[in-house]
Amino acid sequence: MATRVTCKALGAACFGLSMALSAPAAFALADVIETPARETSLAPSQLLTDAATAGDRIIAVGERGHIIVSDDEGANWSQGQVPVSVTLTGVDFPTANEGWVVGHSGVVLHSDDRGDTWSVQLTGIGAAKLAIEGKEARAEALEARIAEAPEEEKGDLEWALDDLLFSLDNLRADLDIGPVNPLLDVWFENDQHGFVVGAYGMILRTRDGGETWQDWSGQLENPTGFHLNAITRITGGALVIVGEAGQIHVSVDNGETWELRTSPYEGSLFGVISTGQVNEILAFGLRGNILLSTDLGKSWKFVPNDAKATLNDGAVAEDGRITLVGNGGAVLVSGNGAESFREHFRSERAGVMSVVPVSDTDILIVGEDGVHRTDARGRDL
Amino acid sequence: MSNRMHDKGEHYLTTPKAEPFLERLIFNNRAIILFGFLILTLFLGYNAVKIKPDASFERMIPLEHPYIVNMLEHRDDLGNLGNFVRVAVAAKDGDIFDPQYMDTLKQITDEMFYLDGVDRSGLKSLWTPNVRWVEVTEQGFQGGEVIPDGYDGSPASLENLRQNVLRSNQVGRLVADNFKSTIVYAPLYETNPETGEPLDYAAFSRQLEEKIRAKYEGQNPNVEIHIVGFAKKVGDLIEGIGSIAWFAGITIVLTTLLLYGYSRCIAGTLVPVFSSIVAVFWQLGALRLLGYGLDPYSVLVPFLVFAIGISHGVQVVNAMALEAAKGFDPITAARLAFRALYIPGMLALISDAFGFLTLLFIQIDVIKDLAVAAGLGVAIVIVTNLVLHPLIMSYIGITKGGVRHVQNHGEKQDRKWRIMSYFSHPGVAPISLLIALLGLGLGLYYKQDLKVGDLDQGAPELRPDSVYNKDNAFIIDNYSTSADILVVMVETPVEQCTQYNVLRAMDSLQWELQNTPGVQSTASLADVSKTVTKALNEGNWKWYEISRNQTIINASIREAPPGLINTDCSLTPVLVFLEDHKAETLQTVVAEVEDFAAQNSNEEHNFLLATGNAGVEAATNEVISSAKNMMLLFVYGVVSVLCFVTFRSIRAVLCIVVPLGLTSILCEAIMAVSGIGIKVATLPVIALGVGIGVDYGIYIYSKLEKFLLEGKTLQEAYFETLRSTGKAVIFTGVTLGLGVVTWIFSPIKFQADMGFLLFFMFLWNMVGAIWLLPALARFLLRPERMVAKARSAK
Repeated sequence: MATRVTCKALGAACFGLSMALSAPAAFALADVIETPARETSLAPSQLLTDAATAGDRIIAVGERGHIIVSDDEGANWSQGQVPVSVTLTGVDFPTANEGWVVGHSGVVLHSDDRGDTWSVQLTGIGAAKLAIEGKEARAEALEARIAEAPEEEKGDLEWALDDLLFSLDNLRADLDIGPVNPLLDVWFENDQHGFVVGAYGMILRTRDGGETWQDWSGQLENPTGFHLNAITRITGGALVIVGEAGQIHVSVDNGETWELRTSPYEGSLFGVISTGQVNEILAFGLRGNILLSTDLGKSWKFVPNDAKATLNDGAVAEDGRITLVGNGGAVLVSGNGAESFREHFRSERAGVMSVVPVSDTDILIVGEDGVHRTDARGRDL
Repeated sequence: MSNRMHDKGEHYLTTPKAEPFLERLIFNNRAIILFGFLILTLFLGYNAVKIKPDASFERMIPLEHPYIVNMLEHRDDLGNLGNFVRVAVAAKDGDIFDPQYMDTLKQITDEMFYLDGVDRSGLKSLWTPNVRWVEVTEQGFQGGEVIPDGYDGSPASLENLRQNVLRSNQVGRLVADNFKSTIVYAPLYETNPETGEPLDYAAFSRQLEEKIRAKYEGQNPNVEIHIVGFAKKVGDLIEGIGSIAWFAGITIVLTTLLLYGYSRCIAGTLVPVFSSIVAVFWQLGALRLLGYGLDPYSVLVPFLVFAIGISHGVQVVNAMALEAAKGFDPITAARLAFRALYIPGMLALISDAFGFLTLLFIQIDVIKDLAVAAGLGVAIVIVTNLVLHPLIMSYIGITKGGVRHVQNHGEKQDRKWRIMSYFSHPGVAPISLLIALLGLGLGLYYKQDLKVGDLDQGAPELRPDSVYNKDNAFIIDNYSTSADILVVMVETPVEQCTQYNVLRAMDSLQWELQNTPGVQSTASLADVSKTVTKALNEGNWKWYEISRNQTIINASIREAPPGLINTDCSLTPVLVFLEDHKAETLQTVVAEVEDFAAQNSNEEHNFLLATGNAGVEAATNEVISSAKNMMLLFVYGVVSVLCFVTFRSIRAVLCIVVPLGLTSILCEAIMAVSGIGIKVATLPVIALGVGIGVDYGIYIYSKLEKFLLEGKTLQEAYFETLRSTGKAVIFTGVTLGLGVVTWIFSPIKFQADMGFLLFFMFLWNMVGAIWLLPALARFLLRPERMVAKARSAK
């Protein structure tokens, strides 16, 4: 109260003072990446962004650092102990015990007890430093190449260098603010090897279970730094990343090198899954666009549907039934290997972010209003 | 003028040796004084007629409570965040996707647009261009008005409309969850920007009834209209004040009949009624001259003034009839009546006034106003009913019928008093005390459930089954909304209200609160930022977070609703929607916020309680619970001291005050059982009830003591007491009860509560005085010692 009065009296001078006061030292609350998620019974009914299975267990993640686990196909949930309270965006469990979760502020969390307790492996600060180091090394290498390159190649290389320096500037500016950018998805092959992908082309790789990470953005052809939204392994072993502006990156050597596929679609793709058939990729995103490739992404066709809702994620049930879920409560079901889909909309139209098939007839969906167990068409049971 | 015989006993309290100076002054200048009264009555009556209803919100809240201080300090910052009306137009059959329905909705929207007081730029309905649907496309955003281009009411265009509504994000806001109604939302100007005049709530509310509800429900039988909003509520309250006029009429008629039954004399009936009405006019006129309006609380005071005037007037009539029966002419009878009554009457009235004035300790203006109005009224009654009334009667005199009625002290009458005198019998008194103890026990038991605050859903000022509250319930049931809102204000340095740290801190508070029982949901700039950040990222829920990047925050709140940021960005509110406004709910939530504020308020963000209806109620509840015991202490302190000064005996004080205490406890038990909380309206009831109720005890005890001092046994003395004053006391109780009982039918809930409780207090205090006082006297008084003491004093 006293400060306010003085502020009125001092006028403009106070503006400077208050700027000084708003320096990070004045934090009243700990930073979100240092604030453990509150234990709450509300977690299963708040925004959840992704879900995964670990053996018989189902794990879902969401806002405010919520990680919830269920051992009875979604009937009862308990909350994992999480050291951060950021919005979490992706979860993957390569084994029944070991799992990774990513989220805002560039956090990577790890659990080795089936999701009950979590620890921070990486934050956006570390991620940004890795990206900056990686880009600086590439810029140096590029400068060296430009110096040695023949005149006619110099122009193109200089463009590439400009792009690189520009994104470096952005990364440094962001780092000045803090861990600004979110990671958006995670995939692990086993308890050692995995990738995390995120905003502005961020991609990191680990080979030691998250102990150390490498900036992998140099391996992807993404000079503008478009968001990378999802990563998965498809039947047959290839890895696929989809992202903003229709990007589709494919790796056939377990992530060592990546190839940008020519995309038939210029809008954002938010999810990618396997259909269950070898080398088939099903990618989807804005406004109900569904793309199907049967040849590792070399050729694509649009799967027609009338849903027109942004699609976020999908899953294949044991019987081959494919379910895609999306905004506005969209639940799309294909019984014919993604040849065609039948659209359903949930009655309250809340966005659906992910789906886990739990039986031949039921699915578990998570999204805007938490978790629900529904029939195959997304109707609450 | 030989009146020695009357000086003997009748004037126990004063025993004047000769005509008092005051009596001479008044009765020797009758014409001049009456002329003065006439002039004064004309002047004050003129003012009384011009007094205006005034439902000023500020007078009903505790202005000195820190929450309210904060609220008023930031009133301009939050703009008219809360001042809007919502008109829900419901389809009785089918849903809103119907050409006739949409046509009516369009007409209502247009009509609302032209209502005086509506901020047209903020008007929202499916038919206004500011209600749009938005969709993310590959190129960015695509959107349009919800009413499709070329809408013609055809099935195709209605289907189009349905699509647009679904993607407009308005379901639960402008469109009911069940698609059977939609809302026309109209923000209001507090002051008309063209004329600078404040919004006339009464007129605005009437316009809504006439031009919207009546007109369109008549025009389209398939629609039903529900209207809520602060302006409508205030309008209904002011309307409710109007209905008080009917109650006044009914009360006057009932009292007149009762009075005639009592006195059997036309003059003895009409003159007290007339004098009491004069008192009411004086009181209203004086209030206006002092700058007061008539709020829903003080509008009740004239009823009390009237009833008190009548109950004292009846003493004058009674005394004059007694004198007339002894053969005195009207003027002598009037003088003797005046002489007999002016001191005890004044004493009783002054004790009433002191009782009322204890209300001044409660820091809520309406209650203070009530104290002033009632105190003033009682002072006026001293003049009108103790001076004007006998003066007029000195010209007219009591009719022969009236005199005969007084003389008719037959055996029959006495038998009744004889039976009642057994209340003081040594065999009956213990039983009475046991019953009283039982009542006390029951009262204490039920009183435990007594709650602070308003307990009903909806607008507590109005009845649960009022149109307004039904409309309110309709909107709560069909839309995602709550009627009970607590607003936490977050103060920041200038231009800093949208900083990441501020939003982050508000978000933390919100999450604490959402995890607090009683909280339904919360909203703030943090939610706006998260939602828009998500939308700017192609509607992807994974981006639902407050960005650390200030540029992104700024972009995300560019379109934030007004009211969430003040003009120099130094204040932003956190809105907390509660499940109800029960005192426990408010306490829990407020404690949670205070805890959070204590830990996290700093130079960057200072968390302040509170505004919103729930904030105001929380503050009011705090003031009331802390004032309640203090007020009880003062009321009982004042009446005890008055009784002690009058009778110089602790035992006497106990005889008089214990029945009052029992009544107070029973009154609280009744409140608990009938779901009436301690609130602004009911807090004064006990002070009024005790302040006025003590009169009965004073009348009874003073007579009882007199007869005891004459050497009579207790039962004999009590019999004589009842013979001389029992009828007057019972009559007074009934008159006072009648004065307030009509309020029970008031459309304003708290007036009904007050009426009900005061009715109980007035009647039961009278019963207590007649039944319990003599029983207590049996155990407490020592007649022999009293006589001895009186003798030695002489």
